[in-house]
This record gives sequence, C-alpha cells and structure tokens, in this order.
Amino acid sequence: MASVRRQPRRLESAVSICLLVLLLLIGLVIFMKQFDVDMSRFGIDTTPLNLPVQQIEAEIQEPVLEALTPDGFKKFSEVETYNTGNLYEKINGKAPLYIEAGFAKLFTQRFIHESDENLWMELFVFDMTAIRNAFSVYSVQKRADTRTLSFAGPGPCYRTSNGVHFVHGKYYVELIGSTESTVMDEAMIRIAEKFASQTAVDDEKITEFALFPEEDIIQDSFKLYLANAFGFEGFTDIFACRYNISDESITAFLSKYPDTQNAQTTAEKYCNFLIENDAVAKVANNAVLKNGNVKVLDFYGTTEIIFSTGPFVAGIHEAENQTAAEELAARLLAKLSKTAKIE
Amino acid sequence: MTEQTDNNLDRRQLLARAGKAGISIAAAGLISYRLYDKQGPGAGVNTESLVTLPDFRVPHKHGQTMSVVKGPDRKVTVNKALELLDGIERFVKPDETVVIKPNVAFASSPMLGATAHPELVAEVVRLCYKAGAEQVIVTDNPINDPSSCFTLSGIGKAADQAGARVVLPKEHLFRHTTLDGGKLIKNWPVFFGPFENVDKLIGISPVKHHARAGASMAMKNWYGLLGGRRNVFHQDINTIIAELAMMVKPTLVILDGTEVMMTNGPTGGSVSDLKRTNTLVVSTDMVSADSCGCTLLGLKVSDLPYLTKAEKAGAGATDYESLKPVFGTV
Repeated sequence: MASVRRQPRRLESAVSICLLVLLLLIGLVIFMKQFDVDMSRFGIDTTPLNLPVQQIEAEIQEPVLEALTPDGFKKFSEVETYNTGNLYEKINGKAPLYIEAGFAKLFTQRFIHESDENLWMELFVFDMTAIRNAFSVYSVQKRADTRTLSFAGPGPCYRTSNGVHFVHGKYYVELIGSTESTVMDEAMIRIAEKFASQTAVDDEKITEFALFPEEDIIQDSFKLYLANAFGFEGFTDIFACRYNISDESITAFLSKYPDTQNAQTTAEKYCNFLIENDAVAKVANNAVLKNGNVKVLDFYGTTEIIFSTGPFVAGIHEAENQTAAEELAARLLAKLSKTAKIE
Repeated sequence: MTEQTDNNLDRRQLLARAGKAGISIAAAGLISYRLYDKQGPGAGVNTESLVTLPDFRVPHKHGQTMSVVKGPDRKVTVNKALELLDGIERFVKPDETVVIKPNVAFASSPMLGATAHPELVAEVVRLCYKAGAEQVIVTDNPINDPSSCFTLSGIGKAADQAGARVVLPKEHLFRHTTLDGGKLIKNWPVFFGPFENVDKLIGISPVKHHARAGASMAMKNWYGLLGGRRNVFHQDINTIIAELAMMVKPTLVILDGTEVMMTNGPTGGSVSDLKRTNTLVVSTDMVSADSCGCTLLGLKVSDLPYLTKAEKAGAGATDYESLKPVFGTV
C-alpha cells in the first residue's frame, strides 16, 4: 500500500497561522517591554501614584501661550509641554510636589524684551485638573514677603518683586522674571490678565474657606494640604489659615470627612500621633473646650488643640499662647458645630 | 489505494521530523539564552565596559580640610577661603586639566539662586589658570535643554569669558558605572566623558532648600552626573545622595551660602525665597561642607539623613567642627 503525504486541512492551516501570529505578537510585546525599565529591582516603589483626580492627557487642551506675548516683548522659546512622566526634567526635585497634588500637564514659554536682552520671563501654566489641587500648590509655595495684586482673574493671586503667581480654575500659573523691573512687572500683569480672560475654566469654588470664623483672620493666609498635613499621614485635605489674636499669630485648621465616625476616628488618630511624638495632654482653661471631645496638648512648649464635630476635624496647630489658642478653638468649634447641625 | 493518514510514517520520516523539531527547540533555546539579560533592565552593558570615576582628591593636611569665610562678595570670599587652605596651588598644579562642575540644573536667572553663581564659577576658573592649569573645563548635565541652562544661568558666558571650555552633555559622553557596595548606582549611565584624562575636580553649588531632599548642596550637586531616567531616584533620595558622595571623590567643593534659597527649592523662582547669609565654604570633605551648610538653612545634621548615610559609608565627617575649620571674614 503506497503512502501519500497528507495535505494539511484548511482548518489546520488557519490554526497554525493563528498560532504563529500569536507567537509573533508575544515576541513583539516582549521586545517592547524591554524598553520599560523596571526600577523595582532597585527596591524603588514604582507603583503609580493614586492621584486625587485622574484625567486623560489627550483631553487636556493646551492653553495658547504665544498669544499672551505682551507689547514690547517677543517669544524667547517655543512652548514646552511636560507631563507626569517628564516633569522632573523641568523642575527636578519639585516635581513630586505637583504630581502628588494631581498634576496633569505643564506648559511653559519664555518671553524677552524686544530691546533689552536682560529682561526675560518664563510663564509656567500647571494644569492641576481641579481648583483644589491648583490652590494647594499655590498656597503651600506662597511666599511670605508678597505684594498685593489685583487683576481681572477671579482666583487667589500675589506678586513678588520678580514674579506673579495665581490660580485660575484648575490652573496654577507662575510668571518668573529674570530680574526686578517695573517694565517686567507691568508685562507680567498684562499676561496674567490676558490668560485669565482668555482661558475658560469650570466655575468651581472652594467652599471650606467660609467655614473658618471671620473675626481676626489674616486675609489670604489660607493653605490647603492635600496629604500628610503636619507630618501626619492620615491628615488629608486639611485647610489651614492664620489669625492674629492678641498680637499672636495662630494657625487654625479644619477638614471635612465623609461622616461623623470617620472624623472622630481621624481626630483620635492625630491625637495619638502627637502623643507618640512626646505631646502631653493638658487641661483646657476655656469652659467651652472642657468636653471629652476636645483634646488640648502641650507639644514641645506649643499648644495643639484637636476636636471633631459632625463630619469636621479641626483644631489649632503649634500655638505659642494657650489662652489665645483656646479662644480661637472655641470660635471654630462653635461655627463648625452650627454648620454640622445645618448640614 | 492510497491512504491520507500520518499513521504509516516510516522510520526515516519519523527521524527526520524528530530531528527538525529538535533543531527548532534547540535554536529557540539558544536564541533565548543569547538574548537573556542577566543584569536586567537599565543595564545592557557588560561589566567589562563599566567605568569608574577617578579619585581626584589631594593629600590630607591636618587642620586644613575646610574653611568658612563670611563676606558679601563671592570673588573675595572664595579667594580668602582658598588662601586659608594653603592656596589654590595646593589643589591645582601646573599643566593639569581641571573640571569644574557647577550646579547648572535650571534655565534660571542667576538672581534666583537656583544655580551656581556665574561670578563665582568665573573666579574659580581664573584661579585655576593662575595656578598653572593647562585647561579648565566647565560642565554639567541639566536634563532639560542644557544650552538654555548654561545661557540663562549666565554660567556659559562667564566660564567662556574666563577661558574655560564649556562641555554640554552629549549621548556619546555617557558611560555606565556601578558603585561598589551601592544599592542604586548599578550599571547606570553617568556623564563620564568630561572626566576622562582629567587631573582635578571642583564642585560648585549654592545652598538651597530642596522639596524632596530637604537641602541641595555639595553632595546633591553630583546628581547632575547621572544620566538615564534619574528622577526615579527621587523616591530614595537619601540613598542616592549618599551613593553619589561615595562615587565622586572631588579635589574640593565650594559651597556658596552668600544667598541661600530658604524655601521653594530646588527651583525657587522668587527673590523672596532667598536669604543673605554671606557665607562661603570650601572643603575637601563634602560631607563636612554640607553639614556646615545645612545650618544656614536652619537645619541640623539629623534633619538630612543622607549626611549620616554618607558618613557611615566613609565619604566624610558630619561633625565638621572636629576638622577644626579655618574661619575668616572679609
């Protein structure tokens, strides 16, 4: 009986081709993966940061920076764009501050005076994806020695002797001049005005500012710590602001949690954190604060006060004067308790 | 009658098929073996081609390890500080080639203190030539647009006018290195080219607050030598700075605390971030220089873990006062 080699069936050929294609795809993926350096072998955590707000980069619209060129100046560089992956190339060790606060993209451009090469400035537009994130990076970097600035933009703003800094919706914007000059000052303000008027943003508001008592408050002293406020990991979204009471500068803080239980637990944990770090409980002198929910602590000679009411955790941070600290804590407790009842 | 089955293979056909299958498996195995990278990602270089930065140190002189000079003018303070350590001639000999590595990390105005001051860099170049140096090279590896960084910081022009050769980073100037006993610097690209056939190395850095490290001073200045995706090291910033202090053995470091960036470092951006402290440190021990420099920022050695790590690794002493620094005022 003669044997004849069997021709492969059509199905067998199809399966073979599929398998070959699959193998090629696997090979391609392995090849591409080689270019993705795995830093975990160095013991470095490469887990993606859990950003407060994720935004698809492709959806981010690039603000038109070149159109902001002020009269008497010309562009000094092309627009540069950075994302979370390469922000460090521009701002090196400051990149984590932005990335951990929800940064999505940075757009920069330099402008130079048409007749004086010593006068140049750089515009930094940080897309922080939400106004809270933008305000956070603005507030924690705010300089102590600042000058007031008023322009058509609705957000918080200030200027230094060589720069302008402001929040416009989800954008945190910096204009940094090469030198101190009135020509530059005026040009930077013009850019700020143009940016604010030409860049549409959502009508978001930060409502927590209104939760602080108004009396004795130092205007524009608000800060927002998105995480690890006062060195405590559990403290997120902490708003702080300063007061001037009896010539003492006192910092009050608050944060709103999802529910009463969550707020109570966080307050207790923060209190324990302070005690673990050598804080010592002391007696409150102010009658309003003499309830079990308010903790007054001595922390290396300063007074810390912490309490929760409704969904709020609040208190006083590192006050030099206990009496003034307790007075402010009582006001804060009263206002937040009232708000909690309404809510 | 013919039968279309494989059931009646003869021995020859069976052996041929088995042979082909065996060869295929062996070839796949051989290719995989040849392509397998035992070093893992980031390496791609065999250990034989790894480089090590030379040791640029000069012999130790008791009581002349470090000088601290107070004064507002960098040119004057650096001259005085070197004079207190026996003069620039102790460090730079005739016909030598010297590399100066200033901090040129940002395309930032010199007024903002984010980079080494151009006047100071130029003065050190001039001093090296005065001591008889044949060539002085000024170099750094800013990741973002190096030419803009050298231009806008004023360092490129100042160095050029003082007669130095400015070397910008190019891909061919990078080689891989591994630090003995290092945890992070393993088979990592470093900016090695400018340091080949060089006799002496001088680091120049400002004193700055640093959001991640606490402070950026003489040791952190060597971060600029790292190539690749060096930002990953920010997650273990204390270890990488300590390892840089182990990897680089400079002739001396110059720490400029004439104006200190107290906040918002390392980029700053406002003169409001600066504080005039009128202090300049020159030292052959960079751990000591940084331990002294951190006091200008209101910090203690214990606030900067990389200092203790570097000391434990033998890179220098945190108790700088034990070195009996020479103080001066001009």
